[in-house]
Amino acid sequence: MKRSAEVFDVAIIGGGSAGIAAALAAAREGARTLLVERQGYLGGMGTASLVHTFCGLYLLRDEPGAVFANPGIASEIATRMIAATGLGPARMGRLDVLPQHPVEFVRIADELVLAEPLLDLLLHTQVTGISRDADHWELALAASAGPGQVRARALVDASGDAMVAMLLGARSSMIDAPRLQRPAYVFGVHSQRLLDDAARLQTAGLIVEGVRGGDLPVDALGLAFRSSGRAGENFGTLDLTGGATAADYDPLDASCLTRLETTGRLTACKVVAWLGANSEFWKGAYVSHWPIHAGVRESRRWIGEYVLTGEEVAAGRRFADEIAQATWPMEFRETARGPKLRYPEGNRAAGIPLRCLKPAGIEGLYVAGRCISTDHDAQASIRVMGTCFATGEAAGRAAAEWVSRPERATPT
Amino acid sequence: MEVSKKKTPTPIELIDWLNDEGVLELDWDFPEEGDLFAAGLDSMAVMQLVVAVEDRFGIELGPEDLTKTNLATPTTLAALIAAKI
Repeated sequence: MKRSAEVFDVAIIGGGSAGIAAALAAAREGARTLLVERQGYLGGMGTASLVHTFCGLYLLRDEPGAVFANPGIASEIATRMIAATGLGPARMGRLDVLPQHPVEFVRIADELVLAEPLLDLLLHTQVTGISRDADHWELALAASAGPGQVRARALVDASGDAMVAMLLGARSSMIDAPRLQRPAYVFGVHSQRLLDDAARLQTAGLIVEGVRGGDLPVDALGLAFRSSGRAGENFGTLDLTGGATAADYDPLDASCLTRLETTGRLTACKVVAWLGANSEFWKGAYVSHWPIHAGVRESRRWIGEYVLTGEEVAAGRRFADEIAQATWPMEFRETARGPKLRYPEGNRAAGIPLRCLKPAGIEGLYVAGRCISTDHDAQASIRVMGTCFATGEAAGRAAAEWVSRPERATPT
Repeated sequence: MEVSKKKTPTPIELIDWLNDEGVLELDWDFPEEGDLFAAGLDSMAVMQLVVAVEDRFGIELGPEDLTKTNLATPTTLAALIAAKI
């Protein structure tokens, strides 16, 4: 790879919502920044996994009107999304969310990243190893041309799966399989007619009929459809157990993920075909889009200088070194039968301390996104994309700031 | 027991039962006329509801029963179940 001689100030591993924000923030702070992404486009869960709602963008409040919790890159991306879709924030129960379109998110991410002169983007690249000398991180990269390497002074792990912890053998944690948040398999469905609330309820009844009659697998009871807001375009979201039993789910295991992807597709095909044959509404419907990657909500987490707990999120605890507000309730998806929400007392937002973004005892390394240092319960709040933008922005800024510290000008 | 299975629930009993079944998480003082959709009754919860109603009350709710009017509140849901028992 031609990049071997280059030295960056900051390298970001993973180009999902956290990695995009981290890269933009670092580059805007003046750091020569590299963003490494394994797929052919940025966005992660919001694009490759077709998750079509930005959660955690807004404060939790009873009053009408959505108020940004973490203005900055989160609100910048949200504003561009609203302009692209024409859809503003929507209240779902007690929560304000922003419908987002994966196709638009890909484009917005491209535009934002390409506008930064100090930011280099490397798609189709996997990081396969990490080592450190006195003053640099060295990343081993894998692409079709073969192995390569690149050096950077500071790193941000925005991989979602805490890949850097795995590669360094650093401290990390993962909850036992039965309690892991279940994965979501999201796909596109084209329908001839507009899917409104009445049609959604009727569809729920149809699916139960199909399962009751033995025509559809029980997995179909984890499926919900929603219109994308564009004529005929819908998303089906299928919550899956992830294995024969809850204990068999391993979001880091390629064999398990393979079964997850194929089960998701098979179930989606059966349901869409059955609905098309058994209802007037879905007549002529077809699957229009597959995700690149099933939506993994939780896997390996870093153990950092501080571990944010669910009790602290529930109490709305604040911290002197907080870098973002967690405003999404703890959304437990420990079964494939819908969410259980735990709201904080008095709608209070919790602070996320910078220490949750710093692996203990490792200088020049920051973490962003759903694998920051929290317990399982707190992760159920901070994993959402709106909050990932905020932790990403903070991690990118912190990494750039670390590189520019005056004491680092002195050779070690 | 078949006899108690067929007993028509009151709206208050339904609120407790929806909580016990894990279909919805409703506050202890959730009103009989409270908005179930605002309380989280989405299409996936509706599927759970239909399965749970079949288990508990021995009745099958079909697509035609699942309207916004019928599912609006504990009171309308109790009336829907009563009409089917």
